[in-house]
Formats: sequence, structure tokens, C-alpha cells
Amino acid sequence: MTAGGSHVVIELAVRFAALSLVAIGGISAILPEIHRVVVDVQGWMTSGEFADLFALAQLAPGPNAMFVSLVGWKVAGLAGAIVATAAACGPSSVLCYWVARWAERARTTRILPVLRRALAPIAIGFILASGYTLAQGADRSPGALALTAVAAVALAFTRVNPVWILVAAAVAGAMGLA
Amino acid sequence: MIPPPDDAATAATGRDPLAGVTPGRLFASFLKMGLLGFGGVLPWARRVVVDERGWLSDRDFAETMGLCQVLPGPNVVNLAVIIGSRSQGPFGALLAVTGILFVPIAVMLAMAIFYAEVAHHPLARHAIAAASAAAAGLIIGTAVRLFIKARPPLRGLLTGTAAFVAVGVLHWPLVWVALALMAGGVAAEWRAST
Repeated sequence: MTAGGSHVVIELAVRFAALSLVAIGGISAILPEIHRVVVDVQGWMTSGEFADLFALAQLAPGPNAMFVSLVGWKVAGLAGAIVATAAACGPSSVLCYWVARWAERARTTRILPVLRRALAPIAIGFILASGYTLAQGADRSPGALALTAVAAVALAFTRVNPVWILVAAAVAGAMGLA
Repeated sequence: MIPPPDDAATAATGRDPLAGVTPGRLFASFLKMGLLGFGGVLPWARRVVVDERGWLSDRDFAETMGLCQVLPGPNVVNLAVIIGSRSQGPFGALLAVTGILFVPIAVMLAMAIFYAEVAHHPLARHAIAAASAAAAGLIIGTAVRLFIKARPPLRGLLTGTAAFVAVGVLHWPLVWVALALMAGGVAAEWRAST
């Protein structure tokens, strides 16, 4: 199950810690980079396994950031899960701690709205790239592509809990409809 | 690693409902948000923090989430850092983040181990393949939803498209793309705001 070894754990820590500070928009924004590293550069898993792990992480309760824990677990077991989570959340959390303290005092400054307007479109571009990367890793049959499209529309334009969308898709898949 | 919060901030928020929260209650509250958060934690975070505990007003919550979204890192983890540290300093931040992450991670790993056991079964394979196709759609849908809400001007469309093409299509390393686009985007937005 694991590609194991302490050098792998160190590699995970360094990669995720660097990504932590640019993950504007959360983990959803850095999926293509995680994919590039774990599939293309390191060859720790296939694109299909990557997409499956992502689906599992989405089905579980909790923040979808936990996908990095699952990647760590797949690559280096429990130590990998813990190190990947700490590396992906640690640097951004420390930054958040300091900025929040500063923002208490700087509520009325111009820089926060400017940052929000400047960073939002970049985050959206990255999140779209994440969806595109995942769709390429997932099954490419017409049924699967239709599921991707239906899920996208359902999430964008309805208030359905996304877990039900995933469960419905899984049931459709098990019944051989996709 | 992180020094305690300064006394000025604590004194200024003397009536902060978060100041009286015990570490146990802080941890339990974030544990609840994580465990109940099927399909996303944010709705539950708002419910627990605003409606049930009364730690933040709706307006404070929206402003705090706005800050969390601007900052790198998972939004709800950032929320845990901010609320936890307002209650108990760095220790509180650690407690809240642990609460929201670690039990859900244990549940998820149990699911992953179970899936590894049944993965060879065609039924399980088809189910998870379909779920992963839908999960890709959920992320695309999230981008669409955010785009409709943000309605970026032309300069935003340009940085957003550049972000998508560079990372999604050309597979350039995200760190450098992010840094370059952030610098350019902030500069353009700053000029536009004066």
C-alpha cells in the first residue's frame, strides 16, 4: 500500500509546506500541483488512484483539506498522513495567526479589500484547474463525463448537500449506469 | 514557537464571549464541526459558532471568513486558528485545529482501509469511479459558483484565465505561477482602487 521510507516522508513535508503558503482558496486550489508532484514527478500513484483518493476524502466527514492526509497515508502510511497534514496546514496556520492579529487593528485599511479582489479570480482559476485535473484522472466514459457535468451544475446552481451528489453517483456507478 | 497574544488585544476585547470559553468546550465545539461536516464544514461552522455558541455575530463571522479566504490554507482550518487563538492564544488555535481535523482524519483513514479491502470487487470499483467523476464535477461547480459570486472585472478575468491555463493545461509549478499572478493582480487592483 505504501511507497515507504523516511526520505519519502521528508519529501512530503517539504513539498506540502511550500504549497501551504500559496494555497489561496484552500486545498482545492492546489490539486494540480499535488497531482503533478505525486503522479508525474514522483510516480507514487496513478492518475486514477489520485482521483479515487480524492473521492474518498470528499465522502468522509470533515474539511476537504483532509485529502492531503490521505495522500500522505497512501505514500508513507500513518507517519505520512500526520506529516502531510501538519506540513500542509502548519505554515498557513502560523501566517493566519499573525495576520488575524494584525487585521484586528487594521480593519479599516485599504489593503484587505484590494487583496480580496485581486486574489479571488486567481483562486477561482486554480480551483477550475483542479476540477479539470481530477476530471482527466477519473474515468473518461460518456457516463462518467455526464456525471461530472451533472455534479458541476448541481453544485453551482442548487443547494443540495454535495455528499448526496457523491452518494447518488456512487449508487449509479455500482448499478452500472456510469 | 508563537508568543502569547498581547495584552492590548485582550483588553480591547474585554467583553469577547470567546474569552470565557474553556479549552474543553473549545475542543469539543470544533470536533463537532468536523464530524458533522459531510460535504463541507462551513455550514456547520457557521451554525455552531454563530447560532449555538454565540461566539461571533453573523457579521463578524462573514468578515472573519472573508479574511480566511484571502489567506492561504484551508478556510475552516484558518477559522479554527482565528477563533481558537482569540479564546486561548496559540494553545487554543492548536486545540481548535486538532479538534476540526484529527478525528475526521481517523474516520477517513478507516474508510480508506476498508476501501482498500474491497477495492478489487467490481461493484466497489464502479461505485468509486463514478464518485470520483462526480467529485471532479463538484470542484468545477465550486469554481463556477465562486465566479458568479465574484463577477470579476476584465483584469480579474485575465489573471483567473492565466491561473487556469498555466496550472491546469500547461502543468507549470503552482508556487511560481501563484507568486507571479499575485504580484501582478495586487498591483493592478491597487492602481484601480486609487
